[in-house]
Amino acid sequence: MALPLERILVTGGTGFLGSAIVQALVEAKKYEVTALDINPPSLGTETFSQVRYVRANILHPEELAKVFSEAKPSIVIHTVGVYPLGNARYNLKGQEAVFEINVTGTENVINAAEGSGAKGLVYTSSIAVIVDEIDGNFANVDESWPTGRATLSYGQSKTTAENLVLSSNSPTFRTCALRPATIFGPNDPACIPVIHACISKGETPFIIGDGSNLCDFVYVSNAADAHVLAVCNLLATGTAAGEAFFITNGGPVAFRDFCIAVWKEFGHIPPFQVNIPKGLAWGLGLMAEWATWVTGAQATLSRRAVKDATAVRYVSLVKARRILGYKPRVNLPEALKVACQHYKQLLGGR
Amino acid sequence: MPSPMSLIYYTFHPQELRSIIQWKVWHNPVHERDESKEPETLRRCFFFLDKTSRSFSAVIKELHPELLGPVCLFYLILRGLDTIEDDMTIPLETKEPILRNFQDIIEKDGWTFTENGPNEKDRQLLVEFNVVVEEFKKIKPAYQTIIKDIAKRMGNGMADYANNAEHNINGVNTIDDYELYCHYVAGLVGEGLTRLFVEGGLANAALLKRPELMESMGQFLQQVNIIRDIKEDLDDKRRFWPKEIWSKYVNQFEDLFKPENKHLALNASSEMILTALSRADDCLYYLAGIKEQSVFNFCAIPQSMAIATLDICFQNHDIFKKNVKITKGEACQLMIESTQNLQLVCDVFRKYTRKIHQKNNPHDPNFLRISMTCGKIEQFIESIFPSQKKPVNEKASPVSVEQAAKAKAEAQEAKWDMIYMGLTVFLTLFIISGSMVFIAWMAGARFDIALDQLKDQWRALMGSSGPSDSGGASGHSEL
Repeated sequence: MALPLERILVTGGTGFLGSAIVQALVEAKKYEVTALDINPPSLGTETFSQVRYVRANILHPEELAKVFSEAKPSIVIHTVGVYPLGNARYNLKGQEAVFEINVTGTENVINAAEGSGAKGLVYTSSIAVIVDEIDGNFANVDESWPTGRATLSYGQSKTTAENLVLSSNSPTFRTCALRPATIFGPNDPACIPVIHACISKGETPFIIGDGSNLCDFVYVSNAADAHVLAVCNLLATGTAAGEAFFITNGGPVAFRDFCIAVWKEFGHIPPFQVNIPKGLAWGLGLMAEWATWVTGAQATLSRRAVKDATAVRYVSLVKARRILGYKPRVNLPEALKVACQHYKQLLGGR
Repeated sequence: MPSPMSLIYYTFHPQELRSIIQWKVWHNPVHERDESKEPETLRRCFFFLDKTSRSFSAVIKELHPELLGPVCLFYLILRGLDTIEDDMTIPLETKEPILRNFQDIIEKDGWTFTENGPNEKDRQLLVEFNVVVEEFKKIKPAYQTIIKDIAKRMGNGMADYANNAEHNINGVNTIDDYELYCHYVAGLVGEGLTRLFVEGGLANAALLKRPELMESMGQFLQQVNIIRDIKEDLDDKRRFWPKEIWSKYVNQFEDLFKPENKHLALNASSEMILTALSRADDCLYYLAGIKEQSVFNFCAIPQSMAIATLDICFQNHDIFKKNVKITKGEACQLMIESTQNLQLVCDVFRKYTRKIHQKNNPHDPNFLRISMTCGKIEQFIESIFPSQKKPVNEKASPVSVEQAAKAKAEAQEAKWDMIYMGLTVFLTLFIISGSMVFIAWMAGARFDIALDQLKDQWRALMGSSGPSDSGGASGHSEL
């Protein structure tokens, strides 16, 4: 006789990370999965017959309550979040919408989970709770670093939500937060496409700074594995309860080199390289900001974008390895190959 | 006598010359050998050490007295083994039993070997090997056991290779074969030395529980030598680069040396360098387990030299044409920095890792892997010597919506505090200056005249004033 399956509910279950988590849960063959999302599975993505797909908006508590009372999850994985892209990342315009989904949404999910008698919740936080302090450099930072210093709305909203999750941890409702680095993979909305776009814009030869600043990334299936491990932990020993964990692909790589590796997958290697000193780039960024202010048009460059491109931002994986037993299964070169191949097909299909 | 070329070189690299002088003048050995107390046979052993070792004799002779003799003898025994294995003039029937039984030979009183070819440079060591045997039997039994064990395993490994005709013709096949070869000639040395250090109480016993660390110490040195010596080895008809690597780029090993294959050869060399470089962080980890300064120097100097050598070999086509070497000045600088503490050695590793990273070529098929390996070394160094401090004065993080609202209210309050403070200062200044003016006026000050004068001067300054006005002004000024 088979053991009864543990019921898992994944919010954002048809999204980029959420669908990878759903897949990893299905492959583990130990779980009965409900995928909750505001959108139905998008065309071309894999769906699983044994997964229940339910539409609901996390900003509507009554919708949530209904879905949760039907699904009766043991563990909830909460992946829903919004990430302002481009210039919106740097100014606080549109901040309310970000906070509403990332903070209020999380509060609603916690309430629904507790209300439905769930035993725990795994929250997809972000490395941004630390590295969104735009002026900072972070070399091998670990989880003992204090949060709350983020200066960008995304990092601030994730910090507030993470604090809500971790402070609701109790012996009967175990919670933990995973803080993945920049996630990439097939269908990723914000990493490979943005880096790929530099090719047609002719931006690839220009290096801001010396191009040696190290950053962390994580492949989507590795991030999904970490979520499954967290679920296992909360259901078993619970050593992860009340804790936050950085999740990366195992080691940092120079930001510039990651970009080059992506471009290489599309057959592009910068024909020449020009180093733009950090100070000069900062000045250009300032000028671009004035131009934006005068003309109202959006510029690609700004002082904060320069900081984003030149900052050292990588973290320690020791805690996730030790407590969750996390190990990135797909290494960076393989992962990039798969992700870029997928994007190539997507571009070809358009 | 320095050559004219080196004179010119050091004229333009005074920093390197300074390092040479600094090393020669200021370096004090941690421990000094006391020759007067040594028997004649031991002195003869040190004589052979100087003769046979280019790089190791200096660091060995500065070792802690407890290990000075054992390490010197360990070196000479392995050198003897190597001299027999290397000599192609010795027939296999003679060679094999000696290699396989070397652990017993080193206990045979008066054993010598005279069948080496006349051109074998270390021939004399084996001719007088009885001195090594005599001294070996005097060291502590625990050390003898370790040395015998390593000699046995290394001798058998060498005999296997000597028997392997394929290896002799085609060289090393797979990467695993390559690392196995390096294990026999260097990894085992790392193991033997580590056991000697731990036995002597000069290194942390935990090193024995992480065998991959001591293996990496030997692998790193050996692989760097193999990369650097590719041309020399080719000239001696030996090849150690594994076919699994070079065959990705060229069809024949000799093709690596053809000028038209420059880029392919460089790609092959960077894959070799990548394989070696992936051991670097283990080496630093190992060094953290050394407790005694002379042992630390002994281990760290060759490692620093190795990473510097890796850097000059990287993306350097000269390795296929000649023997590439670091300059003497750089070597002295490295020795100065490798004989102090782990942090300085880490700085050396980081410096050369960054130089390698900078030369990394986007066209190289291993571009990303090399970059990742550099990142791994940097992260490892950062993990043992963090460059940043955790922020201590925690800005209160808004734990909840209420707290965020409270923080906002506090900020609002602070703003009004600021406004009130400004107002108070302004008011105080106004009252004080007002009362001063009032007292002056009471005392008969003519503010009306001063005011008129001020007005006139203002007009004169602006230049738009009429003549009558300027006359009036002058009239006043005569008052």
